[in-house]
Amino acid sequence: MLKRDGLGLSAPTMVFDPFTNYLKAFSDPVFIESLGRVLLFGVVQVPVMLGLATALALLIDSHSARAKGFFRLTSFLPYAVPGVIAALMWSFLYSGSSSPINALLEPLGVAIPFLSEEMVLWSVANIVTWGWTGYNMIIIYSALQSIPGEILEAAKIDGASAWKIAWNIKIPMVRPALILTTVFSIIGTAQLYNEPKVLQSVSGGSIDSAFTPIMAAQAATAAQNYPYAAATSVILAVLVGILSITFFKITNRGSDS
Amino acid sequence: MNSFKRWGIATAGTLAAALALTACGGGSGSPAQSSSPAAASSSAASPAELTFWGWAPGYSDSVKAFNASQSDIVVKFEEIQPGSRGGYEKMLNAVQAGNAACLGQVGYETLTSFAAQGALEDVSQFANANQNEYVDFAWNSVKVGDAVYGAPVDTGPMALFYNKELFKKYDVEVPTTWVEYKAAAEKLQAADSKIKISSPYANYDYAGLSWQAGAPWFNIEGDSWKVSVDSDENKKVADYWQSLVDADTVASAPMYDPAWFKGLGDGSIATLVGAVWQAGVIKGDAADGKGKWAVAPMPQWDAANPSVGNVGGSATAVLKGCETPEAAWKFANFLSTDADSYGNLIEKGALYPAAKALLELPQLTKEDAYFSNQKIFDVFKEEALKVNPEWTWGPNMPLTTTKLDDGLNKSWAGNGKMADALTEANTATVENMTSQGINVTD
Repeated sequence: MLKRDGLGLSAPTMVFDPFTNYLKAFSDPVFIESLGRVLLFGVVQVPVMLGLATALALLIDSHSARAKGFFRLTSFLPYAVPGVIAALMWSFLYSGSSSPINALLEPLGVAIPFLSEEMVLWSVANIVTWGWTGYNMIIIYSALQSIPGEILEAAKIDGASAWKIAWNIKIPMVRPALILTTVFSIIGTAQLYNEPKVLQSVSGGSIDSAFTPIMAAQAATAAQNYPYAAATSVILAVLVGILSITFFKITNRGSDS
Repeated sequence: MNSFKRWGIATAGTLAAALALTACGGGSGSPAQSSSPAAASSSAASPAELTFWGWAPGYSDSVKAFNASQSDIVVKFEEIQPGSRGGYEKMLNAVQAGNAACLGQVGYETLTSFAAQGALEDVSQFANANQNEYVDFAWNSVKVGDAVYGAPVDTGPMALFYNKELFKKYDVEVPTTWVEYKAAAEKLQAADSKIKISSPYANYDYAGLSWQAGAPWFNIEGDSWKVSVDSDENKKVADYWQSLVDADTVASAPMYDPAWFKGLGDGSIATLVGAVWQAGVIKGDAADGKGKWAVAPMPQWDAANPSVGNVGGSATAVLKGCETPEAAWKFANFLSTDADSYGNLIEKGALYPAAKALLELPQLTKEDAYFSNQKIFDVFKEEALKVNPEWTWGPNMPLTTTKLDDGLNKSWAGNGKMADALTEANTATVENMTSQGINVTD
């Protein structure tokens, strides 16, 4: 940790004290709050996004689907937009003075406070979902492609409906892809930074400098407290590791039975 | 699993390539130097080379002018992100890593924090000879104790930028006091509810308002700091702006945002209380306002005792690890005092000189078409004399301003009280300083 004395106007000395910063992080309400916020975000956003991605993949994969290529491309396209550009674009859609959504709703006397303190987290979730659903869809869709045709044919001959096939055959068979996308999404959630950082300037204070753990670590770096930034980053990395491993364990236990 | 294998191979490949590269670098460097005596002798006579990191418009031309003016020193200019947007982090990280440029553009507000990081080189032995060339307040800004860390380039005396056309159209007098300013805000708002008198001020722009009001944030008393971000004087300033927010006379567009420039151009934001260099910013990015804007003295708390704040202004600071500090000082002094090169800085960036001799430059008496042909520097010349000399920056300004902005941004949007934002920033600053062992008194 950093130590200074007097007026603190000469270079600080570094004191090796491995626990102080970790203890400080766990008793720092700002950091804990940012962790909690991202956890809540992940618990809601990841299932919604993967649900959407799976549904899309099944629809495009289904026999009666038309213009597969077109839908595959259009749902994947948002992923091709760089995250920061996407966030900038959404900041125009959200912010009070320029939002075309609210401009359309105005005659009805409704205005959606996209950037209010209660809603801003879900406005961010919307950007992330918009950007990543297509990407996850492609992974799940490729897994669907690799299901042997005989199995599906056999099910059809046995008289299974399209719903039944999707639920009982296709989804279990793309399990590895679903697990993979879930783990990626957990890691992605922990890395939440671009979208809130870009929205911060127009959010009217709803997004503060420690909105997500990475933003908090960056603020600590900017305040020249490198040791503390490092400690919080390590904590975040370890937590993500624990979460991912736990998720793997849970899903593996399911497959053993 | 296949993909994992491929990952492994790719990583190993990259590592091997990196190793090979470093091996090449290490191996070929030394024999090249020793084996050719001709090269060695020419390098002894070759000019000192140093790099300068900055972002102000016009700096690259000044560097060219310096390089052309003599042959002992070659300066290389590298444009970096403005300080608060990443430039300062780059400098500090580079100093830590030992590969920083010799010179960096560092704002006065950040200079103390840089010194507190041990990121600056004391050049007082070369610099003190030039002290009398600079205005006192600017020279004090590059000094911490007896150490001098660079040359002051410009100062940021404040004034009132206002949309003259708008004030004329709605028959509103240009305010000379803050009471009149509020009245003007309400009158414009009543005439057209879309017109807002101002926009949210954050960090150093807000600090300028406190500076003017004689409401310092930091003081040094003996060998300890006094933090007064939430003093009564500061709360008075906060409560004033709070009352403007409560009256719905402040726009929502944050400063420097595209929406802000649009508002300045189309007449929905009527004024900006800001520093001289902001003339360059609005001219550049709110081109629609051309011919509509004008400059007047800053509104006063007490018209009988006028006082003016300062926002920004920066120094060419010598960063720690610079091997040629004397050459670095020579260039820094040139950048701040050379009349030809500085004239260009005035035209490109509306920089206001910190060197006394330059205050008479012809560029400072030109009419400006953007500001309805006003000679705007005449106003700033008057205002610069009234800058309140009582102001000290704290030892960790990034922390203080980050905490302050978190609170202020909420209150500008109407979700909190500014006075509370000051208290929170004060508490966080004191906590940060004491936890690192810096002396703080109540």
